[in-house]
Amino acid sequence: MQLHLLLQQRSNSAAVILILHPSYFRSMSFSSTLLEQAVNEFAKLPGIGKKTALRLVLHLIKQPAEETQFFADTLARMRKEIKFCTKCCNVSDTEVCNICSNIARKKQIVCVVENIRDVIAIESTQQFNGLYHVLGGVISPLDGIGPDQLTIEALLHRIKEDEVEELIFALNPNIQGDTTLFYISKKLKDQPIKITTIARGIAFGGELEYADELTLARSLQNRQPVASYVSMK
Amino acid sequence: MLFLQSLQLVQFKNYSHQTFRFEGPVTAITGANGIGKTNVLDAIHYLCFTKSYFQSGDGMNVQHGMQGFRIEGQFTLAGEALPVSIVLRETGKKEVSCNGSLYEKFSHHIGRFPCVMIAPDDVELIIGGSEMRRSFLDTVLSQMDAVYLQQLISYNKILQQRNSFLKSCAQTQTRNNALLDVLDEQLIAAGTYIFTKRNDFLPGFNEQVLQFYSSIAGKAEPVAVTYESKLRETSLENLLQQCREKDYQLQRSTTGVHRDDLYFSMNDEPFKQTASQGQRKSLLFSLKLAEAEVLKQQKGFAPLLLLDDVFEKLDQERMHNLLNYVCSQFGGQVFLTDTHPERMKNAFADMQIPLQLIELG
Repeated sequence: MQLHLLLQQRSNSAAVILILHPSYFRSMSFSSTLLEQAVNEFAKLPGIGKKTALRLVLHLIKQPAEETQFFADTLARMRKEIKFCTKCCNVSDTEVCNICSNIARKKQIVCVVENIRDVIAIESTQQFNGLYHVLGGVISPLDGIGPDQLTIEALLHRIKEDEVEELIFALNPNIQGDTTLFYISKKLKDQPIKITTIARGIAFGGELEYADELTLARSLQNRQPVASYVSMK
Repeated sequence: MLFLQSLQLVQFKNYSHQTFRFEGPVTAITGANGIGKTNVLDAIHYLCFTKSYFQSGDGMNVQHGMQGFRIEGQFTLAGEALPVSIVLRETGKKEVSCNGSLYEKFSHHIGRFPCVMIAPDDVELIIGGSEMRRSFLDTVLSQMDAVYLQQLISYNKILQQRNSFLKSCAQTQTRNNALLDVLDEQLIAAGTYIFTKRNDFLPGFNEQVLQFYSSIAGKAEPVAVTYESKLRETSLENLLQQCREKDYQLQRSTTGVHRDDLYFSMNDEPFKQTASQGQRKSLLFSLKLAEAEVLKQQKGFAPLLLLDDVFEKLDQERMHNLLNYVCSQFGGQVFLTDTHPERMKNAFADMQIPLQLIELG
Protein backbone atom coordinates (compact mmCIF):
# COMPACT_ATOMS: atom_id res chain seq x y z
CA MET A 1 0.00 0.00 0.00
CA GLN A 2 2.74 2.39 1.04
CA LEU A 3 4.90 1.45 -1.91
CA HIS A 4 1.95 1.85 -4.23
CA LEU A 5 1.46 5.36 -2.91
CA LEU A 6 5.12 6.18 -3.49
CA LEU A 7 5.07 4.91 -7.03
CA GLN A 8 2.05 7.04 -7.74
CA GLN A 9 4.04 10.04 -6.65
CA ARG A 10 6.91 9.16 -8.93
CA SER A 11 6.88 12.55 -10.55
CA ASN A 12 7.65 13.95 -7.14
CA SER A 13 11.41 13.46 -6.94
CA ALA A 14 11.48 13.63 -3.14
CA ALA A 15 9.34 10.51 -2.94
CA VAL A 16 11.64 8.59 -5.29
CA ILE A 17 14.65 9.56 -3.24
CA LEU A 18 12.88 8.19 -0.17
CA ILE A 19 12.92 4.77 -1.84
CA LEU A 20 16.53 4.89 -2.97
CA HIS A 21 18.31 6.85 -0.33
CA PRO A 22 20.22 4.90 2.37
CA SER A 23 18.58 7.03 5.07
CA TYR A 24 15.43 5.06 4.29
CA PHE A 25 16.99 2.01 5.88
CA ARG A 26 18.12 3.97 8.88
CA SER A 27 14.49 4.45 9.71
CA MET A 28 13.77 0.71 9.33
CA SER A 29 10.85 -0.07 11.61
CA PHE A 30 10.93 -3.25 13.68
CA SER A 31 8.11 -5.11 15.37
CA SER A 32 10.48 -6.20 18.13
CA THR A 33 13.09 -4.29 20.11
CA LEU A 34 15.06 -7.52 20.59
CA LEU A 35 15.34 -7.88 16.85
CA GLU A 36 16.27 -4.23 16.44
CA GLN A 37 19.03 -4.45 19.04
CA ALA A 38 20.51 -7.55 17.42
CA VAL A 39 20.44 -5.88 13.99
CA ASN A 40 22.14 -2.78 15.39
CA GLU A 41 24.89 -4.89 16.94
CA PHE A 42 25.58 -6.75 13.69
CA ALA A 43 25.59 -3.48 11.76
CA LYS A 44 28.49 -2.26 13.91
CA LEU A 45 30.76 -4.86 12.28
CA PRO A 46 32.99 -3.72 9.41
CA GLY A 47 31.46 -4.22 5.98
CA ILE A 48 28.00 -5.01 7.37
CA GLY A 49 25.16 -2.64 6.61
CA LYS A 50 21.68 -2.63 8.07
CA LYS A 51 20.22 -4.81 5.36
CA THR A 52 22.90 -7.50 5.68
CA ALA A 53 22.59 -7.31 9.46
CA LEU A 54 18.85 -7.97 9.18
CA ARG A 55 19.45 -10.93 6.89
CA LEU A 56 21.95 -12.46 9.34
CA VAL A 57 19.66 -11.97 12.31
CA LEU A 58 16.68 -13.47 10.49
CA HIS A 59 18.87 -16.43 9.61
CA LEU A 60 19.76 -16.93 13.28
CA ILE A 61 16.06 -16.86 14.21
CA LYS A 62 15.42 -19.69 11.79
CA GLN A 63 18.21 -21.79 13.32
CA PRO A 64 17.60 -24.06 16.32
CA ALA A 65 18.13 -22.07 19.53
CA GLU A 66 21.07 -24.18 20.66
CA GLU A 67 23.01 -23.40 17.50
CA THR A 68 22.69 -19.70 18.12
CA GLN A 69 23.71 -20.32 21.72
CA PHE A 70 26.80 -22.16 20.55
CA PHE A 71 27.59 -19.32 18.13
CA ALA A 72 27.31 -16.73 20.89
CA ASP A 73 29.34 -18.82 23.33
CA THR A 74 32.10 -19.33 20.80
CA LEU A 75 32.37 -15.60 20.23
CA ALA A 76 32.27 -14.77 23.91
CA ARG A 77 34.89 -17.38 24.74
CA MET A 78 37.12 -16.29 21.89
CA ARG A 79 37.01 -12.69 23.07
CA LYS A 80 37.53 -13.59 26.72
CA GLU A 81 40.27 -16.16 26.36
CA ILE A 82 42.21 -14.93 23.36
CA LYS A 83 45.75 -13.93 24.19
CA PHE A 84 48.40 -12.03 22.39
CA CYS A 85 51.73 -13.80 22.19
CA THR A 86 54.15 -12.07 24.54
CA LYS A 87 56.91 -12.39 21.96
CA CYS A 88 55.44 -11.59 18.57
CA CYS A 89 52.08 -10.01 19.53
CA ASN A 90 50.25 -12.44 17.27
CA VAL A 91 46.94 -13.90 18.51
CA SER A 92 47.43 -17.05 20.48
CA ASP A 93 45.78 -19.50 22.85
CA THR A 94 48.85 -19.57 25.05
CA GLU A 95 51.32 -17.10 26.50
CA VAL A 96 53.74 -17.77 23.67
CA CYS A 97 52.12 -18.60 20.33
CA ASN A 98 52.73 -21.89 18.53
CA ILE A 99 54.90 -20.22 15.90
CA CYS A 100 57.23 -18.65 18.47
CA SER A 101 57.40 -21.85 20.52
CA ASN A 102 58.17 -24.07 17.53
CA ILE A 103 61.80 -25.09 17.99
CA ALA A 104 62.16 -26.01 14.33
CA ARG A 105 61.84 -22.36 13.33
CA LYS A 106 64.81 -20.00 13.20
CA LYS A 107 64.33 -17.38 15.83
CA GLN A 108 67.23 -15.31 14.51
CA ILE A 109 65.11 -14.24 11.52
CA VAL A 110 62.10 -12.07 12.24
CA CYS A 111 59.56 -10.95 9.70
CA VAL A 112 57.86 -7.67 10.67
CA VAL A 113 54.24 -7.38 9.55
CA GLU A 114 51.42 -4.93 10.05
CA ASN A 115 48.70 -7.26 11.30
CA ILE A 116 47.65 -10.81 11.93
CA ARG A 117 46.21 -11.21 8.45
CA ASP A 118 49.70 -10.70 7.02
CA VAL A 119 51.05 -13.52 9.18
CA ILE A 120 48.38 -15.82 7.77
CA ALA A 121 49.20 -14.69 4.23
CA ILE A 122 52.93 -15.31 4.59
CA GLU A 123 52.43 -18.60 6.46
CA SER A 124 50.33 -19.93 3.62
CA THR A 125 53.26 -19.47 1.20
CA GLN A 126 55.16 -22.08 3.32
CA GLN A 127 58.36 -20.30 2.30
CA PHE A 128 59.27 -18.69 5.58
CA ASN A 129 60.83 -20.53 8.47
CA GLY A 130 61.58 -17.68 10.84
CA LEU A 131 59.42 -15.92 13.41
CA TYR A 132 57.09 -12.94 13.10
CA HIS A 133 56.52 -9.66 14.79
CA VAL A 134 53.08 -8.09 14.52
CA LEU A 135 53.21 -4.29 14.78
CA GLY A 136 49.47 -3.82 15.09
CA GLY A 137 49.41 -1.13 12.40
CA VAL A 138 51.73 1.33 10.69
CA ILE A 139 52.77 4.85 11.66
CA SER A 140 50.13 7.27 10.40
CA PRO A 141 49.73 10.49 12.41
CA LEU A 142 46.72 11.32 10.23
CA ASP A 143 44.91 8.33 11.76
CA GLY A 144 46.28 9.07 15.22
CA ILE A 145 48.82 6.24 15.12
CA GLY A 146 52.30 7.13 16.29
CA PRO A 147 55.22 4.83 17.19
CA ASP A 148 53.90 4.48 20.74
CA GLN A 149 50.66 2.90 19.57
CA LEU A 150 52.58 0.09 17.88
CA THR A 151 54.62 -2.76 19.31
CA ILE A 152 57.93 -1.20 18.28
CA GLU A 153 59.43 -1.14 21.80
CA ALA A 154 58.64 -4.84 22.20
CA LEU A 155 60.38 -5.52 18.89
CA LEU A 156 63.53 -3.62 19.90
CA HIS A 157 63.61 -5.44 23.19
CA ARG A 158 63.15 -8.77 21.48
CA ILE A 159 65.95 -8.13 19.00
CA LYS A 160 68.41 -7.72 21.86
CA GLU A 161 67.12 -10.58 23.90
CA ASP A 162 66.88 -13.18 21.15
CA GLU A 163 69.98 -11.99 19.27
CA VAL A 164 68.03 -11.53 16.06
CA GLU A 165 70.29 -11.49 13.01
CA GLU A 166 67.90 -10.46 10.27
CA LEU A 167 64.77 -8.37 10.20
CA ILE A 168 62.58 -8.75 7.11
CA PHE A 169 60.02 -6.01 6.64
CA ALA A 170 56.88 -7.24 4.93
CA LEU A 171 54.82 -4.05 5.10
CA ASN A 172 52.44 -2.71 2.48
CA PRO A 173 54.39 -0.74 -0.13
CA ASN A 174 52.91 2.69 0.58
CA ILE A 175 53.95 5.91 2.30
CA GLN A 176 52.92 4.86 5.81
CA GLY A 177 54.62 1.49 5.35
CA ASP A 178 57.81 3.27 4.33
CA THR A 179 57.59 5.69 7.26
CA THR A 180 57.35 2.75 9.66
CA LEU A 181 60.16 0.85 7.97
CA PHE A 182 62.53 3.85 7.98
CA TYR A 183 61.65 4.71 11.56
CA ILE A 184 62.44 1.25 12.90
CA SER A 185 65.59 0.93 10.77
CA LYS A 186 66.86 4.23 12.19
CA LYS A 187 66.30 2.98 15.71
CA LEU A 188 68.50 0.00 14.86
CA LYS A 189 71.25 1.76 12.97
CA ASP A 190 73.89 1.15 15.66
CA GLN A 191 73.13 -2.54 15.95
CA PRO A 192 74.75 -5.31 13.92
CA ILE A 193 71.57 -6.54 12.31
CA LYS A 194 70.70 -7.19 8.70
CA ILE A 195 67.56 -5.32 7.64
CA THR A 196 65.76 -6.27 4.45
CA THR A 197 62.40 -5.65 2.87
CA ILE A 198 60.29 -7.81 0.60
CA ALA A 199 60.88 -7.14 -3.12
CA ARG A 200 58.79 -4.50 -4.82
CA GLY A 201 58.01 -4.60 -8.48
CA ILE A 202 55.93 -6.25 -11.10
CA ALA A 203 53.51 -8.84 -9.78
CA PHE A 204 53.64 -12.33 -11.27
CA GLY A 205 50.84 -12.60 -13.80
CA GLY A 206 50.82 -8.81 -14.17
CA GLU A 207 51.38 -6.88 -17.35
CA LEU A 208 54.22 -4.43 -17.90
CA GLU A 209 52.07 -2.15 -19.99
CA TYR A 210 49.72 -1.49 -17.09
CA ALA A 211 52.36 -1.13 -14.39
CA ASP A 212 52.83 2.43 -13.20
CA GLU A 213 56.14 4.14 -13.86
CA LEU A 214 57.38 4.10 -10.27
CA THR A 215 56.82 0.37 -9.95
CA LEU A 216 58.45 -0.33 -13.27
CA ALA A 217 61.41 1.94 -12.47
CA ARG A 218 61.84 0.22 -9.11
CA SER A 219 61.72 -3.21 -10.73
CA LEU A 220 64.49 -2.18 -13.09
CA GLN A 221 66.63 -0.88 -10.24
CA ASN A 222 66.10 -4.06 -8.23
CA ARG A 223 66.39 -6.44 -11.15
CA GLN A 224 67.11 -10.07 -10.40
CA PRO A 225 69.64 -12.43 -11.96
CA VAL A 226 67.70 -14.93 -14.04
CA ALA A 227 69.56 -17.77 -12.32
CA SER A 228 67.87 -16.92 -9.02
CA TYR A 229 64.49 -17.52 -10.61
CA VAL A 230 65.49 -20.71 -12.34
CA SER A 231 66.92 -22.27 -9.20
CA MET A 232 63.66 -21.65 -7.35
CA LYS A 233 61.73 -23.92 -9.64
CA MET B 1 46.15 14.17 -34.21
CA LEU B 2 43.98 13.88 -31.13
CA PHE B 3 40.34 14.26 -32.08
CA LEU B 4 37.13 14.01 -30.12
CA GLN B 5 34.46 12.68 -32.47
CA SER B 6 31.48 12.64 -30.18
CA LEU B 7 30.35 13.23 -26.64
CA GLN B 8 27.44 11.70 -24.74
CA LEU B 9 26.18 13.21 -21.52
CA VAL B 10 23.77 11.52 -19.13
CA GLN B 11 22.51 13.43 -16.06
CA PHE B 12 25.50 15.74 -16.28
CA LYS B 13 24.80 19.28 -15.03
CA ASN B 14 21.79 20.52 -17.04
CA TYR B 15 21.86 17.66 -19.57
CA SER B 16 19.63 14.68 -18.90
CA HIS B 17 20.53 12.90 -22.11
CA GLN B 18 22.42 14.50 -24.97
CA THR B 19 24.78 13.51 -27.76
CA PHE B 20 27.12 15.87 -29.58
CA ARG B 21 29.00 15.01 -32.77
CA PHE B 22 32.05 17.00 -33.73
CA GLU B 23 32.87 17.18 -37.40
CA GLY B 24 35.77 19.52 -37.97
CA PRO B 25 38.76 20.75 -36.03
CA VAL B 26 36.88 23.87 -34.89
CA THR B 27 33.57 23.66 -33.04
CA ALA B 28 31.73 26.69 -31.70
CA ILE B 29 28.96 26.21 -29.18
CA THR B 30 26.59 29.14 -28.91
CA GLY B 31 23.47 29.96 -26.95
CA ALA B 32 22.06 32.26 -24.29
CA ASN B 33 23.58 32.53 -20.83
CA GLY B 34 22.81 29.56 -18.61
CA ILE B 35 22.00 27.23 -21.50
CA GLY B 36 24.95 24.94 -20.72
CA LYS B 37 27.76 25.90 -23.11
CA THR B 38 30.44 25.78 -20.48
CA ASN B 39 29.08 22.45 -19.24
CA VAL B 40 29.96 20.86 -22.58
CA LEU B 41 33.55 22.11 -22.26
CA ASP B 42 33.69 20.91 -18.67
CA ALA B 43 32.51 17.45 -19.75
CA ILE B 44 35.41 17.33 -22.21
CA HIS B 45 37.72 18.44 -19.41
CA TYR B 46 36.33 15.57 -17.33
CA LEU B 47 37.26 13.11 -20.07
CA CYS B 48 40.85 14.37 -20.06
CA PHE B 49 41.44 14.96 -16.33
CA THR B 50 38.77 12.75 -14.68
CA LYS B 51 37.51 15.84 -12.88
CA SER B 52 35.78 19.15 -13.39
CA TYR B 53 37.72 22.29 -14.21
CA PHE B 54 35.40 24.35 -12.05
CA GLN B 55 34.04 22.25 -9.20
CA SER B 56 36.06 20.08 -6.89
CA GLY B 57 33.26 17.71 -5.84
CA ASP B 58 31.91 15.24 -8.39
CA GLY B 59 28.48 15.42 -6.78
CA MET B 60 28.17 19.08 -7.77
CA ASN B 61 28.08 18.06 -11.43
CA VAL B 62 25.10 15.73 -11.23
CA GLN B 63 21.86 16.94 -12.77
CA HIS B 64 19.64 18.48 -10.13
CA GLY B 65 17.52 15.91 -8.29
CA MET B 66 19.35 12.95 -9.87
CA GLN B 67 22.02 10.58 -8.66
CA GLY B 68 25.12 9.76 -10.65
CA PHE B 69 26.17 10.81 -14.13
CA ARG B 70 27.86 9.41 -17.18
CA ILE B 71 30.16 11.07 -19.72
CA GLU B 72 31.35 9.22 -22.76
CA GLY B 73 33.70 10.47 -25.42
CA GLN B 74 34.94 8.83 -28.63
CA PHE B 75 38.50 9.94 -29.20
CA THR B 76 40.72 9.05 -32.10
CA LEU B 77 44.49 9.29 -31.85
CA ALA B 78 46.73 8.46 -34.80
CA GLY B 79 43.93 6.48 -36.42
CA GLU B 80 43.16 4.44 -33.32
CA ALA B 81 39.70 4.70 -31.77
CA LEU B 82 39.84 5.29 -28.02
CA PRO B 83 36.52 5.54 -26.20
CA VAL B 84 36.77 7.11 -22.73
CA SER B 85 34.00 7.02 -20.17
CA ILE B 86 33.56 8.59 -16.76
CA VAL B 87 30.77 7.24 -14.59
CA LEU B 88 29.71 8.55 -11.23
CA ARG B 89 27.67 5.80 -9.57
CA GLU B 90 24.68 6.48 -7.33
CA THR B 91 26.90 5.55 -4.40
CA GLY B 92 29.30 8.39 -5.24
CA LYS B 93 31.94 6.02 -6.61
CA LYS B 94 33.65 7.26 -9.76
CA GLU B 95 34.82 4.93 -12.50
CA VAL B 96 37.07 5.91 -15.37
CA SER B 97 37.71 3.64 -18.28
CA CYS B 98 39.55 3.89 -21.56
CA ASN B 99 39.00 1.48 -24.39
CA GLY B 100 36.82 -0.70 -22.20
CA SER B 101 39.26 -1.23 -19.34
CA LEU B 102 38.79 0.41 -15.96
CA TYR B 103 41.63 2.37 -14.42
CA GLU B 104 42.81 1.29 -11.01
CA LYS B 105 44.26 4.72 -10.44
CA PHE B 106 42.89 7.83 -12.13
CA SER B 107 46.39 9.28 -12.20
CA HIS B 108 47.25 6.77 -14.94
CA HIS B 109 44.79 8.51 -17.23
CA ILE B 110 46.27 12.00 -16.82
CA GLY B 111 48.36 13.04 -19.79
CA ARG B 112 46.99 10.49 -22.25
CA PHE B 113 44.48 13.01 -23.58
CA PRO B 114 46.12 16.38 -23.00
CA CYS B 115 43.86 19.40 -22.90
CA VAL B 116 44.08 23.10 -22.10
CA MET B 117 41.11 25.14 -20.90
CA ILE B 118 40.84 28.92 -20.88
CA ALA B 119 37.91 30.26 -18.87
CA PRO B 120 36.85 33.78 -17.82
CA ASP B 121 37.84 33.41 -14.17
CA ASP B 122 41.34 32.25 -15.05
CA VAL B 123 42.66 35.78 -14.67
CA GLU B 124 42.83 34.78 -10.98
CA LEU B 125 45.90 32.88 -12.06
CA ILE B 126 47.67 36.21 -12.40
CA ILE B 127 46.15 38.27 -9.61
CA GLY B 128 45.02 35.55 -7.17
CA GLY B 129 46.85 33.45 -4.59
CA SER B 130 49.89 31.29 -5.20
CA GLU B 131 47.88 28.08 -4.97
CA MET B 132 46.39 28.67 -8.41
CA ARG B 133 49.80 29.18 -9.98
CA ARG B 134 51.20 26.03 -8.41
CA SER B 135 48.18 24.14 -9.61
CA PHE B 136 48.70 25.54 -13.14
CA LEU B 137 52.34 24.43 -13.09
CA ASP B 138 51.38 21.01 -11.74
CA THR B 139 48.73 20.57 -14.41
CA VAL B 140 51.26 21.15 -17.17
CA LEU B 141 54.00 19.00 -15.68
CA SER B 142 51.67 16.17 -14.67
CA GLN B 143 50.45 15.84 -18.23
CA MET B 144 54.03 15.68 -19.48
CA ASP B 145 55.54 13.43 -16.83
CA ALA B 146 53.59 10.66 -15.08
CA VAL B 147 56.33 10.27 -12.47
CA TYR B 148 55.92 13.94 -11.58
CA LEU B 149 52.24 13.34 -10.83
CA GLN B 150 53.03 10.32 -8.68
CA GLN B 151 55.68 12.22 -6.75
CA LEU B 152 53.28 15.10 -6.28
CA ILE B 153 50.61 12.78 -4.88
CA SER B 154 53.19 11.22 -2.55
CA TYR B 155 54.46 14.63 -1.49
CA ASN B 156 50.97 15.78 -0.55
CA LYS B 157 50.27 12.61 1.40
CA ILE B 158 53.53 12.86 3.35
CA LEU B 159 52.87 16.55 3.97
CA GLN B 160 49.46 15.71 5.44
CA GLN B 161 51.07 13.09 7.69
CA ARG B 162 53.76 15.54 8.76
CA ASN B 163 51.25 18.28 9.59
CA SER B 164 49.11 15.84 11.53
CA PHE B 165 52.17 14.70 13.40
CA LEU B 166 53.14 18.29 14.28
CA LYS B 167 49.59 18.89 15.58
CA SER B 168 49.62 15.74 17.67
CA CYS B 169 52.99 16.78 19.14
CA ALA B 170 51.50 20.06 20.28
CA GLN B 171 48.47 18.31 21.75
CA THR B 172 50.47 15.79 23.73
CA GLN B 173 53.28 18.24 24.55
CA THR B 174 55.85 15.75 23.28
CA ARG B 175 58.37 15.73 20.48
CA ASN B 176 59.73 12.87 18.49
CA ASN B 177 62.62 14.03 16.33
CA ALA B 178 63.35 10.50 15.15
CA LEU B 179 59.94 10.24 13.51
CA LEU B 180 60.14 13.76 12.11
CA ASP B 181 63.52 12.83 10.59
CA VAL B 182 61.88 9.95 8.76
CA LEU B 183 58.96 12.05 7.52
CA ASP B 184 61.43 14.72 6.39
CA GLU B 185 63.46 12.17 4.48
CA GLN B 186 60.36 11.00 2.64
CA LEU B 187 59.33 14.59 1.96
CA ILE B 188 62.81 15.40 0.64
CA ALA B 189 62.78 12.51 -1.83
CA ALA B 190 59.48 13.60 -3.42
CA GLY B 191 60.04 17.35 -2.96
CA THR B 192 63.44 17.38 -4.61
CA TYR B 193 62.09 15.60 -7.67
CA ILE B 194 59.24 18.11 -7.95
CA PHE B 195 61.62 21.06 -7.52
CA THR B 196 64.06 19.79 -10.15
CA LYS B 197 61.29 19.29 -12.71
CA ARG B 198 59.74 22.70 -12.04
CA ASN B 199 63.11 24.41 -12.13
CA ASP B 200 64.16 22.76 -15.39
CA PHE B 201 60.83 23.52 -16.99
CA LEU B 202 60.64 27.24 -16.35
CA PRO B 203 63.33 28.77 -18.61
CA GLY B 204 61.98 27.15 -21.78
CA PHE B 205 58.42 27.86 -20.77
CA ASN B 206 59.25 31.50 -20.12
CA GLU B 207 60.53 31.87 -23.67
CA GLN B 208 57.31 30.45 -25.07
CA VAL B 209 55.25 32.84 -22.95
CA LEU B 210 57.30 35.78 -24.14
CA GLN B 211 56.75 34.86 -27.79
CA PHE B 212 53.01 34.42 -27.40
CA TYR B 213 52.73 37.62 -25.43
CA SER B 214 54.31 39.73 -28.10
CA SER B 215 52.19 38.18 -30.84
CA ILE B 216 48.94 38.63 -28.89
CA ALA B 217 49.73 42.11 -27.63
CA GLY B 218 51.07 43.08 -31.05
CA LYS B 219 54.24 44.49 -29.54
CA ALA B 220 57.18 43.18 -27.59
CA GLU B 221 56.87 43.93 -23.89
CA PRO B 222 59.49 42.47 -21.60
CA VAL B 223 57.32 40.08 -19.58
CA ALA B 224 58.94 37.30 -17.64
CA VAL B 225 57.81 34.27 -15.69
CA THR B 226 60.20 33.13 -13.00
CA TYR B 227 60.06 30.24 -10.59
CA GLU B 228 60.16 31.23 -6.95
CA SER B 229 61.26 28.55 -4.55
CA LYS B 230 63.32 28.53 -1.39
CA LEU B 231 64.90 25.40 -2.81
CA ARG B 232 66.78 27.52 -5.32
CA GLU B 233 68.96 28.79 -2.47
CA THR B 234 69.50 25.67 -0.44
CA SER B 235 68.46 22.03 -0.24
CA LEU B 236 65.11 20.96 1.16
CA GLU B 237 67.02 19.10 3.84
CA ASN B 238 68.57 22.33 5.12
CA LEU B 239 65.29 24.19 4.87
CA LEU B 240 63.44 21.60 6.91
CA GLN B 241 66.20 21.65 9.53
CA GLN B 242 66.11 25.45 9.71
CA CYS B 243 62.33 25.53 10.06
CA ARG B 244 61.97 22.60 12.44
CA GLU B 245 61.50 24.70 15.57
CA LYS B 246 59.07 27.01 13.78
CA ASP B 247 57.15 24.02 12.40
CA TYR B 248 56.75 22.55 15.89
CA GLN B 249 55.50 25.91 17.13
CA LEU B 250 53.07 26.61 14.30
CA GLN B 251 52.01 22.94 14.03
CA ARG B 252 52.38 22.85 10.26
CA SER B 253 55.09 22.60 7.61
CA THR B 254 56.23 26.10 6.80
CA THR B 255 58.69 25.24 4.06
CA GLY B 256 58.79 23.02 1.00
CA VAL B 257 57.64 22.94 -2.61
CA HIS B 258 54.06 23.48 -1.44
CA ARG B 259 55.09 27.08 -0.84
CA ASP B 260 56.55 27.66 -4.31
CA ASP B 261 55.17 30.33 -6.60
CA LEU B 262 55.41 31.73 -10.10
CA TYR B 263 56.40 35.35 -10.32
CA PHE B 264 55.25 37.45 -13.26
CA SER B 265 57.06 40.65 -14.09
CA MET B 266 57.10 43.31 -16.76
CA ASN B 267 60.03 45.69 -17.09
CA ASP B 268 61.29 44.06 -13.89
CA GLU B 269 58.25 45.39 -12.04
CA PRO B 270 55.70 43.04 -10.46
CA PHE B 271 53.08 42.36 -13.11
CA LYS B 272 50.26 42.01 -10.58
CA GLN B 273 50.43 45.65 -9.62
CA THR B 274 51.43 47.42 -12.81
CA ALA B 275 49.61 45.61 -15.60
CA SER B 276 46.34 46.84 -17.10
CA GLN B 277 43.29 44.63 -17.58
CA GLY B 278 44.23 44.06 -21.21
CA GLN B 279 47.78 43.15 -20.35
CA ARG B 280 46.58 40.68 -17.75
CA LYS B 281 44.39 38.99 -20.33
CA SER B 282 47.24 38.91 -22.82
CA LEU B 283 49.48 37.27 -20.23
CA LEU B 284 46.79 34.76 -19.32
CA PHE B 285 46.38 33.71 -22.95
CA SER B 286 50.15 33.57 -23.37
CA LEU B 287 50.50 31.26 -20.38
CA LYS B 288 47.78 28.93 -21.61
CA LEU B 289 48.97 28.86 -25.20
CA ALA B 290 52.54 28.27 -24.05
CA GLU B 291 51.15 25.33 -22.02
CA ALA B 292 49.44 23.99 -25.14
CA GLU B 293 52.60 24.48 -27.18
CA VAL B 294 54.92 22.65 -24.77
CA LEU B 295 52.41 19.81 -24.53
CA LYS B 296 52.27 19.62 -28.30
CA GLN B 297 56.05 19.49 -28.57
CA GLN B 298 56.37 16.84 -25.91
CA LYS B 299 53.49 14.61 -27.01
CA GLY B 300 54.02 14.96 -30.74
CA PHE B 301 50.37 15.92 -31.22
CA ALA B 302 48.32 18.96 -30.25
CA PRO B 303 46.21 18.95 -27.07
CA LEU B 304 42.52 19.84 -27.18
CA LEU B 305 41.89 23.54 -26.64
CA LEU B 306 38.78 24.58 -24.74
CA LEU B 307 38.11 28.31 -24.95
CA ASP B 308 35.22 29.45 -22.80
CA ASP B 309 33.67 32.84 -23.59
CA VAL B 310 36.82 34.12 -25.25
CA PHE B 311 35.14 36.86 -27.28
CA GLU B 312 34.40 38.73 -24.07
CA LYS B 313 38.06 38.94 -23.31
CA LEU B 314 40.01 40.79 -25.94
CA ASP B 315 39.53 43.55 -28.49
CA GLN B 316 38.71 42.75 -32.11
CA GLU B 317 42.26 42.77 -33.39
CA ARG B 318 43.82 40.71 -30.63
CA MET B 319 40.91 38.31 -30.90
CA HIS B 320 41.49 37.96 -34.60
CA ASN B 321 45.18 37.24 -34.11
CA LEU B 322 44.44 34.74 -31.43
CA LEU B 323 41.71 32.87 -33.30
CA ASN B 324 43.81 32.75 -36.39
CA TYR B 325 46.67 31.16 -34.48
CA VAL B 326 44.56 28.78 -32.44
CA CYS B 327 42.26 27.62 -35.21
CA SER B 328 44.61 27.37 -38.15
CA GLN B 329 48.26 27.32 -37.16
CA PHE B 330 48.09 25.35 -33.93
CA GLY B 331 46.83 22.24 -35.63
CA GLY B 332 44.68 20.80 -32.86
CA GLN B 333 40.98 20.42 -32.17
CA VAL B 334 39.43 23.55 -30.71
CA PHE B 335 36.14 24.12 -28.88
CA LEU B 336 34.81 27.64 -28.36
CA THR B 337 31.74 29.01 -26.66
CA ASP B 338 30.00 32.33 -27.28
CA THR B 339 26.62 33.93 -26.69
CA HIS B 340 26.33 35.30 -30.24
CA PRO B 341 26.26 32.83 -33.16
CA GLU B 342 26.47 35.70 -35.68
CA ARG B 343 29.69 37.04 -34.19
CA MET B 344 31.25 33.58 -34.46
CA LYS B 345 30.10 33.04 -38.02
CA ASN B 346 31.41 36.40 -39.17
CA ALA B 347 34.75 36.05 -37.48
CA PHE B 348 35.37 32.67 -39.05
CA ALA B 349 34.03 33.70 -42.45
CA ASP B 350 36.56 36.56 -42.44
CA MET B 351 39.37 34.18 -41.67
CA GLN B 352 38.12 31.54 -44.11
CA ILE B 353 38.32 28.79 -41.54
CA PRO B 354 35.61 26.10 -41.66
CA LEU B 355 33.50 26.14 -38.53
CA GLN B 356 30.98 23.75 -37.03
CA LEU B 357 28.38 25.75 -35.18
CA ILE B 358 26.30 24.07 -32.49
CA GLU B 359 23.44 26.33 -31.40
CA LEU B 360 21.97 25.33 -28.06
CA GLY B 361 18.45 26.13 -26.92
